[in-house]
Amino acid sequence: MRVFTTMVYRELKRFSHSRARVIGSIVNPLIWLIFFGKGWSGVFNNPMAASIFGGVDYMTYLVPGIVAMTVFNMSFMQGITIIWDKQFGFLKEILVAPASRTEAILGRITGGAIMAMMQGIIILALSFALADLKLSGVLPALGMAFLVGIAIAGMGVAIALRMTSMEGFQMIIMMIMLPMTFLSGAFYPINTMPDWMQWLSKVNPLTYAVDGSRYYLAGVTPTFGMTVDWLVLGGLAALLAGIAALEFRKATID
Amino acid sequence: MNAIEVDDLVKRYGDFEAVRGISFRVKRGEIFAFLGPNGAGKTTTVHVLTTLLKPTSGGATVAGHDVVREPDAVRRKIGIVFQDMSLDSELTAYENMLIHGRIYGLGGNELKDKIERLLKFVELWDFRDRQVKTFSGGMQRRLEIARSLLHEPEVLFLDEPTIGLDPQTRAHIWDYIRAMKEEHDMTVFLTTHYMDEAEMLADRIAIMDHGKIIAEGTADELKGLIGNDVIYLRIKAPEELRCLKADFIRGCKLLPDGRVRLDVENAAGALPRLFELASSGGIKILEVTYHRPTLNDVFLHLTGREIREDADEREAMKVKMRTRMRMWGRRR
Ligand SMILES: Nc1ncnc2c1ncn2[C@@H]1O[C@H](COP(=O)(O)OP(=O)(O)O)[C@@H](O)[C@H]1O
Ligand SMILES: [Mg+2]
Repeated sequence: MRVFTTMVYRELKRFSHSRARVIGSIVNPLIWLIFFGKGWSGVFNNPMAASIFGGVDYMTYLVPGIVAMTVFNMSFMQGITIIWDKQFGFLKEILVAPASRTEAILGRITGGAIMAMMQGIIILALSFALADLKLSGVLPALGMAFLVGIAIAGMGVAIALRMTSMEGFQMIIMMIMLPMTFLSGAFYPINTMPDWMQWLSKVNPLTYAVDGSRYYLAGVTPTFGMTVDWLVLGGLAALLAGIAALEFRKATID
Repeated sequence: MNAIEVDDLVKRYGDFEAVRGISFRVKRGEIFAFLGPNGAGKTTTVHVLTTLLKPTSGGATVAGHDVVREPDAVRRKIGIVFQDMSLDSELTAYENMLIHGRIYGLGGNELKDKIERLLKFVELWDFRDRQVKTFSGGMQRRLEIARSLLHEPEVLFLDEPTIGLDPQTRAHIWDYIRAMKEEHDMTVFLTTHYMDEAEMLADRIAIMDHGKIIAEGTADELKGLIGNDVIYLRIKAPEELRCLKADFIRGCKLLPDGRVRLDVENAAGALPRLFELASSGGIKILEVTYHRPTLNDVFLHLTGREIREDADEREAMKVKMRTRMRMWGRRR
């Protein structure tokens, strides 16, 4: 357990040392919430729109999506930045230590998920001023955020461990993060998308977090049902973290 | 018992053989140096001995454990300072030490006391709460040395510990290495391409070139391979440049840069006779230098090249930049 907690500690410390990252990770979702959210709120201020958005106003519909997006972006960055550890040698320090690699990488992933969830908490707290949210939904929504954090940080680690150069870094971020965000149903319902897009949405872990936390926070009827949402999120978290751990056990330096 | 035993070790990267069948022993409690130019295979050897790379063939034990079969037992007993910086530069010096200690199973007051003692030892205690990215190269190296000692390794690996540092900082780091060796009674395996470093620190030296050990012994033994003094001449001869022959010349070699190197018993006595010899043969001596043999002369004698050539250095920098950008592969 000691290696696990040490790696969690490292993630928290690294984050707290970097003021730019702390501020950036809060400002970005706020821009979405305020400019994007307020912008469309006027357009969607009619009964037709309300029925599309599950009977709530657009801002209330959007907040759970933005919280999930925040957690997603943050945890993906936390995971994929293991590439810097590779580049700048810290990983060698772990590989040469008499420590369980599985524990070390799960600690790193969990640390990333916790950081991401804390960003989600901040955005959520600020959102209470903008939308009509349920306080009782906060805890279960954060539970979902944590699972998304684990799944996505695990995915980031698995991708980064397979990368052989920094060149693909920006491209991977563009090719993975933006589509996953748009396909998650954070901004609009997925059931009116074309079939092939719906299919992509269904293999996107983020979709289930948006669906579930929108039920908890806004009271919108879930598309998949709460059991499915929890099972899929839990399963994906275990699967992706597991893949990352397997990959990390094989990591070497040649 | 030997601290390190290596038998016929080979390491290939694809088709390229970086280490080509080396064998050596490092005794308990000694400082052993690998001296060789960039690309000799020093780092590769260190990575095999520290369990980061699997050997292609051959075997090695470190602190009595096989590096392939018992990697965890080896890992518990070794400390390492990598050639490239491996600190977490976002974190403070203290946090780097704390994380290392905890990963190695230390904790509580014992760990705190050790961190304090070691940071004081490398004179970084006053800087403990500063982020490592604000440190100079020398400070980072000192921190890495302190970190590598935290778990009291039996065998310490130092891969080019003073590469890229200024002369004063290098001397300072040598002091630390000697002091910690005294205090902790460990075995030190060090690699370097600075011959003065090998000479100042090591009890025994293995000279490595192109993946092979070409000579091994104490600094004096290695210098004994040549003679007592070395004379370098730049001459203009009527015919094609040949080696000079006389009873007082124990060895003669034409160097690629056009100079002639002579090994003699005693340069002071040999020089007058050399001038005589030259004038009688119609040879004009343009330039003479002589000195006691250095490890560089030994290397030159064995390979015909200098350990450190400027072109070498520049090439090495390029390689380093490239490897920095090259990412880690995966074991197949
Ligand atoms: N990961 C690698 N893949 C391919 N070749 C490598 C790799 N690492 C080192 N080499 C090559 O192996 C040789 C020995 O390298 P290295 O062990 O780093 O030498 P040294 O530490 O003595 O400078 C060099 O020619 C280097 O280019
Ligand atoms: Mg090297």
